[in-house]
Amino acid sequence: MPLAHEPLGGLGGVKHPPDEGNAPLVVLRDVVRAYPRGASQVVALAGVSLEIRAGEKLAIMGPSGSGKTTLLSILGCLDRPTAGEQLFEGRSVASLGDDALSRLRNRAVGFVFQAFHLIPQLTVVENVETPLLYEGAPLHDWRPRALRALERVGLVHRADHRPSELSGGEAQRAAIARALVTAPRLLLADEPTGNLDSRTGDEIRALLDELHAQGATVVLVTHNEALGRGAERVLRLRDGRVESEERP
Amino acid sequence: MSPALVVLLQLGARSLRLHKLRSSLSILGVVFGVAAVVAMSSVGEGARRETLAQIAALGIDTVTLKPPASALGEPAATLPLAAADSLFRVVPGVQAVAPLRVVELSADAGGRSASVIALGTTPRYADAARLELAAGRFLADLDVADRKRVAVLGASVARALFPLQSPLGESVRLGGDWYRVVGTLQERASPRTRGAAIRGRDLNRAVLVPLPALDRGGDPRPDGVDEIVFRLANADGVTQAAGVAQALVRRSTGAAPEAVVPREILRQRERTQRVFNVVTGAVAAISLLVGGIGIMNIMLASVAERTREVGVRRALGARRRDVAAQFLVESSLLTVTGGLFGSALGLVGAVLIQTFAGWPTAVHPLMLAVALIVALAVGIGFGFYPAWHAAGLDPVEALRRE
Repeated sequence: MPLAHEPLGGLGGVKHPPDEGNAPLVVLRDVVRAYPRGASQVVALAGVSLEIRAGEKLAIMGPSGSGKTTLLSILGCLDRPTAGEQLFEGRSVASLGDDALSRLRNRAVGFVFQAFHLIPQLTVVENVETPLLYEGAPLHDWRPRALRALERVGLVHRADHRPSELSGGEAQRAAIARALVTAPRLLLADEPTGNLDSRTGDEIRALLDELHAQGATVVLVTHNEALGRGAERVLRLRDGRVESEERP
Repeated sequence: MSPALVVLLQLGARSLRLHKLRSSLSILGVVFGVAAVVAMSSVGEGARRETLAQIAALGIDTVTLKPPASALGEPAATLPLAAADSLFRVVPGVQAVAPLRVVELSADAGGRSASVIALGTTPRYADAARLELAAGRFLADLDVADRKRVAVLGASVARALFPLQSPLGESVRLGGDWYRVVGTLQERASPRTRGAAIRGRDLNRAVLVPLPALDRGGDPRPDGVDEIVFRLANADGVTQAAGVAQALVRRSTGAAPEAVVPREILRQRERTQRVFNVVTGAVAAISLLVGGIGIMNIMLASVAERTREVGVRRALGARRRDVAAQFLVESSLLTVTGGLFGSALGLVGAVLIQTFAGWPTAVHPLMLAVALIVALAVGIGFGFYPAWHAAGLDPVEALRRE
C-alpha cells in the first residue's frame, strides 16, 4: 500500500525545544482511577506509573478488566485520574480545564477504536474532516487535508462512500486517517484489529508499523499477542497494576 | 457565517433528513402553533387596517358635531347654523368648518335615477372632509350667497346617472328641484364592510349642493343644520377642540351636541386590539409550549441514540459547547422549518378566513419575521436541555454505549 512521501507532520516530527529533547511525551506517576459504584468503589487503575517517549511504540496487554482501556482513556486525556500525577509534554494535565483537554485531544492525540466509530451519516472524507471542525481550521483547508490523510492510508478512492459501504479493514483505515488528520503527537489504538479477520488485521498492523517507522508515537491496547510483539515495549496489566514490562 | 456554523447546519439538515417522518411529526406542534398565530394576527391586522382606512377617510384631525338625540315623537333636533361661524372663531387651531344638511333623496337625470345622500353645505366642506375633485369645480361662496342650484356629484352617483357622458353642465333633479352639475368627486374608499368600527358616510353616494339651496320643504327650523364638521390644523388638539366646540354649542342651545372624534374611536379601537393581541399571544404561547415540548422530546431521543457519536466527537476534540451547539443547531433547524411551514399554512388560513368568514385579513410582513424568530427561540429554548445533557455526557461512558 503506497504511503505519501511527505513527512508525517507532528506525528513523528515532535518539535521540542532543544533542552527538552529527551523529555518523555507522557508521564504517569501512581495514577489511580476509581469509579463510584453504589456505596463502594471499583478501582480500574490502582497506581500505574509509566513514561512514553516520542517515537516509541508501546503495547498495553492484559486480560479483560485489567484496566487497559481505562489507561488508554487517561493517556488520551479523555478521562482524568482520580489520584496521581499526569504530564503531557511536561505539562500537568490535572490543572487543565475541560476545554483545554478537548483542545489537547484535538491537536495532540489521535484515537483509533476497535469498532471504528465512524459517524454513519457522514461520508468517509467528511468523517476524516470532523477533527478539523473542532480545530477551527479554515473551511477551504478541510478537503485537501482530509484527502492527504486518506492518501496515507490508501483510501482516497473511497472518500465519498458511506461507512456502511466499507469493509472492516477499509473502515479502520478511514478511522486511522481521521486520527492522523490533525497531525497528532500520540496515536492511541484500542484493539484496532479486534473486529477484523486476521488478514485485514495484518494489513492494519502493517499500516500502524509503517506510521511508526515514519516517526509516530503509537500506543496499542490489544489482546493480540502478535500485534503486541510488534511493539518495542509491552506493558502487561493485571487488576489495575503494571504486572510486567518487557521489550520483545 | 462562521465555517463551523455552516458545517453544523449541513450536518443538522442531514441528520434530520435521516429521520424524515420523525422530524416532520415532531415539528407539527410548531407548525400549527405558528399557523394559528399568523392566521389570528392576520384577522387583527385586517381589522386594524380597516379602521385606519376609515379614520383616514374621516380624518384623524376632524370632529363631527351632531345634535343631541331627540325624545321620541319630537322633531329631530338640529344645530344652529350660526354655531359654525362661532366655532371657526373660537375653537383653537381650527382650519375649516362646514355645516351640513343631510337628506336622503332620489336623484334623476335623463331617465335614470339613483338613491343619493343630498348634502347641503358650504365651500369649506371640501377642506374639512378632504374632498378631491375629479372634474369641474367645487361649490363656491357665490353659489351659497345666491342660493344657486348647482351640484357636485359623488363618484358613484355620477356613474349611475351619466354612465356614457360627462355630467358637467347637465341637469339633475333632486327632490323637486333641478340642479346643474358643476363638478364631480373622486372615488373614495367607502366604509361599507360589515363590522366596521365607524359608520362613515359614503361620499361616493353624495350630491353636494349649496346649503341654502337644499329645500327641505316645511322645515320647522330653517336655520338649523344636521351636522357641523370641522378640521384642525394639528391632530393633537382634537379632543380638547371637540370639548370646546361642545361647550360653545351648549351655551347657545342649552344641550351639548354629540361629538364624533375619529381619533378617539381609533384609541378605543386600539384598546380592543390590545385585548385581542393578549388573547392571540396566549394562544400562541400555549401552542408553542406544546410544540416546544415535542421538540424537546425528540431531541432527547436523538441525543440518547447518538450518545456514542457524542463520545466520538468528544474524543476527536469537541468541547462541551461544540456538542451543545450541534444539537441546538439541529433543534433550531427543526423549529425554523416548522415556522416556515406554519407561516405558509397561516397565510392559507388567512385567505380562507377572509373568503369564508368574510372578515378582512392582512398579514404584516413583520409578523412573518416575528414568527420565524419565535420559532428559532423555541428551538433554542426547548433544545437547550437536550443539548446541555449531551454536552455533559462523560466521553468515556458515551463511547462505551452501543
